Amino acid sequence: MGTGVELTQIIDGCKSGDAECFAQVVDLYGGRCYGYFYRLTGDRDLSDELLSELFMKLVEKIGSYKGGSFESWLFRIASNIFHDHLRGRKRQKKLVEGRRTELELRPIEAAQSDLTPDKVDRLQTQLSRLDADTRELIVLRYYSELSFKEIAEMRSEPLGTALSKLHRGLKKLRELMEG
Amino acid sequence: MNDHMYDELRELLKRLMAPSEAGPIEQDIRSGDRLFDVHPAPQITPETLAAIKHQITVQLGTSHRPAHSFYRYIAAAAVIAVTLIGFFGRSNRETPGVSYASLIPTAIWESEDLASDDAELAYFRSELRHIETQMQALEAGDGELVAAGSLDEVELELIRIDTQFWKE
Repeated sequence: MGTGVELTQIIDGCKSGDAECFAQVVDLYGGRCYGYFYRLTGDRDLSDELLSELFMKLVEKIGSYKGGSFESWLFRIASNIFHDHLRGRKRQKKLVEGRRTELELRPIEAAQSDLTPDKVDRLQTQLSRLDADTRELIVLRYYSELSFKEIAEMRSEPLGTALSKLHRGLKKLRELMEG
Repeated sequence: MNDHMYDELRELLKRLMAPSEAGPIEQDIRSGDRLFDVHPAPQITPETLAAIKHQITVQLGTSHRPAHSFYRYIAAAAVIAVTLIGFFGRSNRETPGVSYASLIPTAIWESEDLASDDAELAYFRSELRHIETQMQALEAGDGELVAAGSLDEVELELIRIDTQFWKE
C-alpha cells in the first residue's frame, strides 16, 4: 500500500483525468474490494461486475472526493453499489415470485440459482448463515481495514454497538466453522 | 489486518469494556479475523483487472473529450498529412504518395453513434479529397496550390491545433 503522500499524488492524478493514476488505484484496492464483494455475494462473476461498477463510479465521482480517508470514501461507494444490487435483486425476486404464483410453478430460489457447491468455500457457507447486517459489518471491517470509528460513522451507529455486533458475529462465525 | 487496527481495537476495548472483558473480546475478534486469513477469498483475475483498466480509459476518453475534438483530430491529421506531403514533395518529387491512413486515431472507430459517425465520415472524406487534390498538385509540380508560403501557414496551423489539442 502506498504512503499517504503517494496516495494523495495518485488521487490528484485521478482528479486531472490521468488513466495511469486510476490504474494504480485499481491495483491498490482492486483485490480488497473484490474480496469484499465476493464475501457478500459468493459469486465471482457478480463480484467482477460490481467491482467494475465501483471503479466506473470512482471515475465519475472522484471530483467529489474532498480529502479524509480515501478507503472510507471508496468503501462507502462499494457499500452503496452492493445495496443497489440487493434492491435490484429483491425487485427481480418479487417479479419471479409473482410469475411463479401465476403459473403455479414449484419454488425457485432465484438468489441461490447461480451458486454451485464448488463455487462456494466453507467460510462463505458459514458467513451466509449470519444475518445480513452482521455479515456486512464483518466483511466491511476485514476488507476495508477501516478503523472502528470510521466503520461506525459509515453505518451511522454508535461505536459500542458496532463493536459488540462485530464481536458476537465473529464469535458465532467461529463456532459455526468449528461445528 | 494490520497492527494499527489492533492497537485501535485495544484502546477502544479499554475505554468501553471492563478490563476483565476486554482481553477475551480482543481474542475472539482476532480469532475471527484469522478465519479470513486462513480462508482467503478468491483472487481477482488479471483479465478482470485489465478489463476494468480498459473501461476506465474508455470512460475517461468519452467524458474528458468534447464532441468537437473529433474535428480537431481530423484537422490535425489532415494538417500533418499535408505537411508531410509538402515535405516529401519538396525533397523528393518522385515519391509516389504518402500513407495517411495510419494518422487516423483509432478511437474514431470505437463510437457506436451511427448518425454522428456518418456526418463525421462525410467530413473526413472531404478532408481526404482535399489532401488528395493537394498531393496530385504536388506530384504534377503545381507550385500554386502548395507554395512555400502556404506551407508555412500550414505549419503554423499545425502548431496551433497541436497546442490546443494537448491542452484539453
